[in-house]
Amino acid sequence: MTQASLPLQKPATIRPRGAVFNWIGVIPFFLFAIAFLFLPSSSLFIGSFQNSEGGFTFDNILGLSQPKILDSYWLSIRVSAVTAIGGGIFGFLLAYAVSIGGLPAWVRSSITTFSGVASNFAGVPLAYAFVAVLGRVGFVTGILKDIFNIDIYEAGFNLYSFWGLSLTYMYFQFPLMVLVMAPALDGLKREWREACENLGATSFEYWRYVAMPILLPSLLGTMILLFGNAFGAYATALALTGGTLNLVTIQIGAQIRGDVLHNPGLGYALAFGMVVIMAISIAAYTWLQRRTERWLR
Amino acid sequence: MRRFPLWSWFWFLLGTLYFFLPLLGTLNFSLRIRRDVLSLDAYNNALTDPEFIRTFVFSNQMAVMTILVSILLIVPTAYWAHLRLPQVRPALDFITLMPFVIPAIILVFGLIKTYSRPLTVFGLPVVPPLTNTVFSTNILLIFGYTVLCLPYMYRSVDNGLRAMDVRTLTEAAQILGAGWPTILFRIILPNLRTALLSGALLTFSIVVGELTLATFLARPAFGPYLALLGNHKPYEPFALSLISFALTWVAMGIIQFVTRGSGQGQLAGGH
Amino acid sequence: MAYLELENVRKEFNNSVAVENFNLKVERGEFVSFLGPSGCGKTTTLRMIAGFELPTSGAITINGVDMTDTPPNKRNVGMVFQAYALFPNMTVADNIGFGLKIAKRPADEIKKRVKEMLDLIHLPVKGDSYPYQLSGGQQQRVALARALAFQPQVLLLDEPLSALDAKIRVELRSEIRRIQQQLGITTIYVTHDQEEALSISDRIVVMSAGKMEQVGTPFEIYNFPQTSFTASFVGQLNLLPVTVSDAEGRRCAFNGRALAVGQPIRFANGASVRLALRPEELNLGGASGDSQRNELTGAVESVNFLGSVVRIRVDVGGATISIDLFNERQLVLPKAGEQVTVNFPAESCWVME
Ligand SMILES: Nc1ncnc2c1ncn2[C@@H]1O[C@H](COP(=O)(O)OP(=O)(O)OP(=O)(O)O)[C@@H](O)[C@H]1O
Ligand SMILES: [Mg+2]
Repeated sequence: MTQASLPLQKPATIRPRGAVFNWIGVIPFFLFAIAFLFLPSSSLFIGSFQNSEGGFTFDNILGLSQPKILDSYWLSIRVSAVTAIGGGIFGFLLAYAVSIGGLPAWVRSSITTFSGVASNFAGVPLAYAFVAVLGRVGFVTGILKDIFNIDIYEAGFNLYSFWGLSLTYMYFQFPLMVLVMAPALDGLKREWREACENLGATSFEYWRYVAMPILLPSLLGTMILLFGNAFGAYATALALTGGTLNLVTIQIGAQIRGDVLHNPGLGYALAFGMVVIMAISIAAYTWLQRRTERWLR
Repeated sequence: MRRFPLWSWFWFLLGTLYFFLPLLGTLNFSLRIRRDVLSLDAYNNALTDPEFIRTFVFSNQMAVMTILVSILLIVPTAYWAHLRLPQVRPALDFITLMPFVIPAIILVFGLIKTYSRPLTVFGLPVVPPLTNTVFSTNILLIFGYTVLCLPYMYRSVDNGLRAMDVRTLTEAAQILGAGWPTILFRIILPNLRTALLSGALLTFSIVVGELTLATFLARPAFGPYLALLGNHKPYEPFALSLISFALTWVAMGIIQFVTRGSGQGQLAGGH
Repeated sequence: MAYLELENVRKEFNNSVAVENFNLKVERGEFVSFLGPSGCGKTTTLRMIAGFELPTSGAITINGVDMTDTPPNKRNVGMVFQAYALFPNMTVADNIGFGLKIAKRPADEIKKRVKEMLDLIHLPVKGDSYPYQLSGGQQQRVALARALAFQPQVLLLDEPLSALDAKIRVELRSEIRRIQQQLGITTIYVTHDQEEALSISDRIVVMSAGKMEQVGTPFEIYNFPQTSFTASFVGQLNLLPVTVSDAEGRRCAFNGRALAVGQPIRFANGASVRLALRPEELNLGGASGDSQRNELTGAVESVNFLGSVVRIRVDVGGATISIDLFNERQLVLPKAGEQVTVNFPAESCWVME
């Protein structure tokens, strides 16, 4: 009897010490997170409320309203929104096609693999790849010129501009959408469609009243995720445009290199503003994701 | 009975084009170093450049170190949280989501601001400036990469632990008389193999081509090298881009292969 | 003319037959169950009535109208699915009112009807809840209300209770029956649970391997099974290998012992057949020595206590038979290994292949 109950008693006896002891196990991780995640980000936060003497000020935040900085936020927001919406819609259609669109199974697995690769393929090599297709002497530019007699650069296209950058970002945006949405589309139960038809609904009414409302939170949420994804991108933009486009990340990069704003505090405020936008988008994403999960439990 | 899924094929085709055209373009450029003939000279030039070898080796070293640090940091923590402290799991989830909020450019900005001067606590210097020596800058770089890859590594490990029901396994092992080292090395880690491998490969594919952190910490990594190469070499950058694409492909392919059927997805990172 | 009619319905999937030769007439207001083992084609038949599958050949008419090729959303047939299939993004009230909303009924009519339905399923206060806030049993009631709200001509239920636990199952099945009788709606109910089918149906269609085995009231199905499949699938059955000794005199022999059979024997003398015995028709008792009585002796193999009945398995030499006794407090149970005598009246047994 005593022997049998031994394993049960053991945890009980170490519990008083155990509570503290338990926390020791996760302390290294928290120390690391504080040192290399929270300290650096809060130093930027503090810096954006400090003047050059170290005193408290709102000047840096107010300074964000100067035209060049507002322009950079606006451009970043536009690029992110365009690629989030464009990549989101295209990614959704592609996810629809491969999940419930009636394509054979091998299409699904190859698209998933592509998407895994493409959504991780970014930065310098991606920029070069787009130069190779859509640059002045690029592959597709050439084909369009030689075969279809369309000169896209004559027509006003420029890879190193807003639309060029957006097309490039799309390369990692839409695959991310596919990766998130394909499982969500799989989650639509066949019975829902059948129950709908059974109650007299047409296919359109099914999408209007059931499928879309169910998918909408994850659709929007993922688009917001894409927005943040593009908003924080730096390497691709730098490598593609060499810093000629006035994006927030490019501005911050220039500021780190050599205080181009001539005010370190303003640089920190610039970064802080960016973190705020990122935080809002991630929070919205998480909230929408939770909502869907609750329904689909 | 079912109609031919015309639109599905259309979107699939468009997706495939979007996916492969840049690669075709890159391949095309990389082979055209000689006028009018296709050749592999660009690859030859690029791969034999001592600067390439130096930076590529450096980036690989950083990747390996990052993977080691990540595993050492995350596996015990996640395991412990699953076993004894389920109440900290939301906090861990939150922290590991943070790098999505703090992109690389902000992270490096903050790291430089914090660690380019002595770190003081209540006026006492506790950490000397890390950017002063090559060695300590490398450490800063590795830790920065660890932060960047935190979401991927943590999610992998967390999924892996979730799938195996840590508590029951550990208790079963304890009842059979196993000690901590046995539990950790003979039971938990072997069961995490897949998760660790996919976390590691994801980390690898992010770190090897990474530009932002390496540039601003002024370390001779492959990302900055490739970016600069574009300024003075017309064809070699395309060869290297294609190679780094192939590396990403291999990494993702292995992940797909080892996690197939387990329902563990992976998401993107590192732009 | 029957209300719902299936004529020679046949369904093939990739050249393998799922349902064939299906002929059924269901009267208005009747409750018919499809009963059969897994994969026998119950769901397929039901889905053909709902319009989700088109029959390979044959015809389906409802209330005199040929529905064979009508799409599901034009059939006015209500369906309850095994996994509820409630729309997760809508409240209970919206779920119930969905069919009316699609039919573009005025809002106040929908509201009134939803309230009636909520009362009918005894969930009057759950209208504003979401499906994930309900238990499985409640969700299935809502699914039932949703299928009934738009007053369909026929109600179809595909194993609606199989995802629920035993107690709720019994409760809800009488609920379904009550509502069905209250509304007088023609109903087809698919199940593989014989007790369920026996307890709530007007008639049962027993199916096996895509074919109808027997159609009849629960009483007929249980007491007068026409095929050996029906006999052994519905209820417990002992099958004793016997030879026909006197077909005319309704006698057969088991291990040299003559046994009297209540029904005519349609086999020749000397044929090897099986004697079918329901366990609850067997009794234990002392040997009477009367050779006219049906008696078998053997050793008790096991005694299993099943609650209201006690099942005793006896090895009668060459075969094991089960005997179900009603559980009473004064019951004296034999022990394993004990020699017992089993007796049964001639009327309770019949001969099958
Ligand atoms: N869509 C389909 N494609 C191919 N074969 C099918 C399809 N649907 C059903 N079948 C086959 O038809 C046969 C009958 O299936 P059905 O679903 O009607 O069985 P069931 O009686 O409802 O069984 P259960 O009790 O398991 O639900 C099975 O052999 C099944 O494999
Ligand atoms: Mg079925």
